[in-house]
Amino acid sequence: MTDRMWRDHDMQDAYDVVIIGGGVHGLATAYYLARQGVTNVAVLEARYVGFGGSGRNTAIIRSNYRTPEGIAFYDHSTKLYEKLAGELDYNIMFSQRGHLTLAHTERGVSGLRERVLTNQLCGVNSRLIFPDEIREHVPEMQLEGSLRYPVMAALYHPPGGIIRHDAVVWAYARGADAGGAHVHQLTEVTDLEVTDGSISGVMTNRGRIKTGTVVNATAGYASTIAAMAGQQIPLETHPLQAMVTESLKPWLHSVIVSSTLHVYVSQTDRGELVIGAEVDDYASYSLRGTLPFVESAATHLLELFPFLADVKMLRQWSGLCDMTPDYSPIIGEDPVVNGLFMTVGWGTYGFKGGPASGQLLAEMIASGRTPERLEPFSPGRFAEDRLVGEKAAASVSH
Amino acid sequence: MSSQEGPCTFTFDGRSITARPGQTIAGALHQDGVHVVSRSFKYHRPRGLFCATGRCPNCLCTVDGYPNVRTCVTPASQGMAVRSQNAWPGLKWDVLSIFDRLHRFMPVGFYYRVMHKPRFLWPVFEAIVRRIAGLGRVDRQSGGSRRYDRQTLHSDVVVIGGGWAGMHAAIAASRGGRDVTLVDDRENLGGHVLFDPGARVDRETEFESTVQAVLDDPRIRVLHRATAFGCYEDRLVAVQTGDRMIRLRAGQVVVATGGWEQPLVFPGNDRPGVMLAGGVQKMLWQDGCLFPGDAVVVTDNQNGYRVAHSLAACGTRVVAIVDHNATPAGDPGDLPVWTGQTIHSVRGHRHVTSAVIGPLEGASSATESISCRWVVQAVGFTTASGLLAQAGCRLVYDESRDLFRADQLADGFRAAGSVNGTFDIDACAREGRLAGEVAAAGEGGGTVDLIPAETSPPVRRPPDGKKAFVCLCEDVTDKDLFDAVAEGFANIETLKRYSTVCMGPCQGKMCQSSSIAACARANGVTISETGRTTARPPEQPVPLGVLAGRAPHRHLIRRSALHDWHVEAGAVFLDSGAWKRPESYGDPAAEYQVVREGVGLIDVSTLGKLELRGRDVAEFLEFVYPNRFAKLKVGRVRYGVVCDEAGIILDDGTIARLEEDRWFLTTTTGNADGVDSWFRWWLATRPGWDIRLTNVSGATAAMNLAGPRSRQVLAAVCDGDLSTEAVPYLAASQLTVAGVPATVLRIGFVGELGYEIHVPSQLAEHVWCELMAAGAASGIRPFGIEAQRRLRLDKQHLLAGQDTDALSNPFDAGLPWIVKLDKPDFVGRSALQRAEGREPGQQLVGFRLEGDRVPPEPSLVLVDGRLEGRVTSARYSPVAGATVGLAWVPAELASNGQQITIQLDGQLVNAVVQREPFYDPEGARLKS
Repeated sequence: MTDRMWRDHDMQDAYDVVIIGGGVHGLATAYYLARQGVTNVAVLEARYVGFGGSGRNTAIIRSNYRTPEGIAFYDHSTKLYEKLAGELDYNIMFSQRGHLTLAHTERGVSGLRERVLTNQLCGVNSRLIFPDEIREHVPEMQLEGSLRYPVMAALYHPPGGIIRHDAVVWAYARGADAGGAHVHQLTEVTDLEVTDGSISGVMTNRGRIKTGTVVNATAGYASTIAAMAGQQIPLETHPLQAMVTESLKPWLHSVIVSSTLHVYVSQTDRGELVIGAEVDDYASYSLRGTLPFVESAATHLLELFPFLADVKMLRQWSGLCDMTPDYSPIIGEDPVVNGLFMTVGWGTYGFKGGPASGQLLAEMIASGRTPERLEPFSPGRFAEDRLVGEKAAASVSH
Repeated sequence: MSSQEGPCTFTFDGRSITARPGQTIAGALHQDGVHVVSRSFKYHRPRGLFCATGRCPNCLCTVDGYPNVRTCVTPASQGMAVRSQNAWPGLKWDVLSIFDRLHRFMPVGFYYRVMHKPRFLWPVFEAIVRRIAGLGRVDRQSGGSRRYDRQTLHSDVVVIGGGWAGMHAAIAASRGGRDVTLVDDRENLGGHVLFDPGARVDRETEFESTVQAVLDDPRIRVLHRATAFGCYEDRLVAVQTGDRMIRLRAGQVVVATGGWEQPLVFPGNDRPGVMLAGGVQKMLWQDGCLFPGDAVVVTDNQNGYRVAHSLAACGTRVVAIVDHNATPAGDPGDLPVWTGQTIHSVRGHRHVTSAVIGPLEGASSATESISCRWVVQAVGFTTASGLLAQAGCRLVYDESRDLFRADQLADGFRAAGSVNGTFDIDACAREGRLAGEVAAAGEGGGTVDLIPAETSPPVRRPPDGKKAFVCLCEDVTDKDLFDAVAEGFANIETLKRYSTVCMGPCQGKMCQSSSIAACARANGVTISETGRTTARPPEQPVPLGVLAGRAPHRHLIRRSALHDWHVEAGAVFLDSGAWKRPESYGDPAAEYQVVREGVGLIDVSTLGKLELRGRDVAEFLEFVYPNRFAKLKVGRVRYGVVCDEAGIILDDGTIARLEEDRWFLTTTTGNADGVDSWFRWWLATRPGWDIRLTNVSGATAAMNLAGPRSRQVLAAVCDGDLSTEAVPYLAASQLTVAGVPATVLRIGFVGELGYEIHVPSQLAEHVWCELMAAGAASGIRPFGIEAQRRLRLDKQHLLAGQDTDALSNPFDAGLPWIVKLDKPDFVGRSALQRAEGREPGQQLVGFRLEGDRVPPEPSLVLVDGRLEGRVTSARYSPVAGATVGLAWVPAELASNGQQITIQLDGQLVNAVVQREPFYDPEGARLKS
């Protein structure tokens, strides 16, 4: 019999910090706040820990982004992930077996080349490789033949891989709990109270909580939470779908991504193939999977791996992504409402950034200063036209 | 399939097995005495047939290379090669069954607590985990050779499930005047009653006439052997039948999917020989199998008595009917009944040897062991309500029936029969008829009128002891679930994710009820409070090939009207979006040269082409472009860029005014569809605009005749006056070219005198050939994209999407003159206004790099080792005598003569910024 991962607590009337959202961002922020000595913290989760994007993402970790700011941030996050199992004493099964982004067109190769050069400049391990070497990694994959667009090159990113996403969430919840934070599940925020331009309280289905500091870590629902404080964030929520097959003896050890084919695939340690695609192109809060998604993802996957035609889809699901105009997250304090912090706009890449955003945002809240790595992602950047253009590296590049 | 005449022979792990006609693989194995069919996922315990109706994981085998095939519902055929899965070296002796002995050290979630310290250990352990994990093995050489297909059907009413309720619903809906599609996953209609002779007693005639009525009804289309695996938005029912998917769009849906028989949870409940009653009935009556030896039937309802009689009739000695009730729930005849008792455990390893029977409630001391080979459970059903849940119906726990049922239906849906928890056969018929009538009236949805249950909630004995499996797919025991709840995974959803209960091949069909019950017990709350996990498609696993259908890929291949000519001319093609375009005709350098010095012809049919007509086109163009068009004269053409609301360049192209209210626009090849939908989006914002937009990209072909001798070549096939006075630079003329009416734009992307000639696609080859013939004396050559890229770079003409990205605005891209901020509102205006007032960011400039080393596209521009820009285009330019290109550089380096540093093959090289074109900076050749 092992100990409880996290405890149930009575709700206090007041907390120093109230974090809305019990996913990787909210729980990591609580954990790192405790490490900074801020322990009178509540994490409010409307459902159960990991209900949202943290339990629905396809668990890919990588740092092969496009901009120096993005690369530095995700590289920091990847390095935190590398140490996390030891730090939290929980096997989060970070499996760095390599990540391959395929290019099927000249334009695609150019995009990858730019990322490779920038990655290398920033000290991140990425290389452009060509069909002979791609075959060494994944001998089973079709690179030409029936492919409409033959594979011309790939961005090979050895530190990339997959992780047991639920385990990360649980481990952070345990760490936050051990540090003194209260994790309140089934606690839904119904309103935010702003007094004289500052956050003064949070209304929930379990009553009012007095607090001067709120962290909005609610991903697909982030704009609805911001609206409770009368604020708009430049977010549009889109569904992102994925599916998983029956378990097979593991044979695919790399993560394979193709933006031309709108598909990516990896195989878990349980043997399931996890298959995903680009966000749905319409804005919606629907969590209902669609048939066109599985038709399209299956078709595209079979272009690369025709022998998978007889393998069965076991389950499909959908999550919500809060997309920003520049495909980079928004982290920091609201420019208008004092005490309203946010770690939002995580789009399709939120799980990758969890540890870094949690750690740096905690540092920001505890110290009152903006850490250098967070500066590019400030909420004010849209008004100032300082965008961090990651679209080429973030879309369909899970 | 079943229609074959005689017996057939197949192999199982190399051993020859004979199957009778129509028998399933599993049936033939059973008949041959093979009772261990697979090894379990985690502990590698021997597993035999359990549900025998295609739900549970126990019968999964690899058949002819196809992994994870449900052999209990797959007919045997001659020569099949069936292999067991997840066992090494073999089913009988599986080395990894050691895990079963070590289970003490492998409690729920143990893998999260081990193998991660020190850090280097995990990759080592993971490699081992990946060698032993997984079920079937996919055939990576020859898999995927089947042909799959897809079909779309429509139906007024779709009835899912051809059991008693479903058949009555179909008949009623048909009588209501509707076209009905009845989807049934078995060979024959009738549902579970088919294999339950006891249920048909006194009704044989009624049963057969109902089946016949459905089959004879011309309004009812029956899909046999068809599984509805998804109910998607707007009543799109996804059906798999064989290797085909049917997308079935329904006006109304009646879900009559019945129930799934549920097992009891007790130690050893996974041993081969423990089975569900429905499976035993199916094996007896469909597969013609026998269950030799002694059997114990455990039950709390009439089903148990019926299966007992079935077994007895087929030669099995039923040694006990163990009935939970104090008085027998059915008529035992002369079979022995033990009332108020239940099964506590079974003994045996590769097969059941005895069952331990004891009191249903209270201390477990008074138990008795009965020697037997078979333990058959008939303790009720849960609702097969997954499709209802997918459709958005609300499921609530019905305590009296101990199951979840829909109480609030999604729009257009009805439920009938056992899926409602209704098991009485007459009540099923009534519900079916009612559902069919409601569906025929188009009134599905709303609240379900609850039919009061006449039964009291069933009593279950919590398992005593270990290895009482809740989940056969993932080897999750009752104790595992209690441990997980104690660790804090108290919510049913986190419990599922942590313990992996319900996450295997059966997706909860066998284990969801038991796991919810265990979760409730462990938390000390009710099942209602516990709730259930979300039901997601597919209801049954479906092959990716079925989802993908026949198409090898989903991409268009677009070929221009001149494609065949290019092929004959030896063109080397490249993919440009969906298009195949000539990259060159073998010698791009010569193609470049001939355009500069003589005349060349390039196929630009792939450009997007839009025709806009109407009084308000000018106003619209003023609104969607940052530059001005209202005063553009008829017969003139102008360059323009399209920006989004953030002022970012989306595309560039030309805008020609052919008549006062008739305009002709071109877009780049890659953005043709994007600009079309962008314009339509804005058109939709003001329905009052008098504008008709027609996309003529495919209907119109285009070719660009370019070079100093282009005028004389065009003149040879064109009657009109082509003098500079008559057709000046930036003229948009309607001419007759080679006898064909053409729109001719005098523009010069490549920097020479040139004519972009737009003609109807079907006449394109004629015009092209006439031009080639007319130019023969002038040494005309076709040229491809590569030559065009070099030519345009001499002029520093940017390529939207290559030289610009998702952050590029016209100011920074060197096109400030194109933004007219003194216009009234236009798309992107406020963003561009801010951009103008701001400190400039990186600028797109030309650069010159001495020598012939060409940086790849893209390359980095560095300042003191920092990334400060990038080269987006570069080529060697014969006219410049150096490498030239376009690059984004910091604003302070964006003026003529500034030196920039480019990373080239890992070295740093210096280039010089040059902001005017490398060739003909005054544009004299263009305007000549």
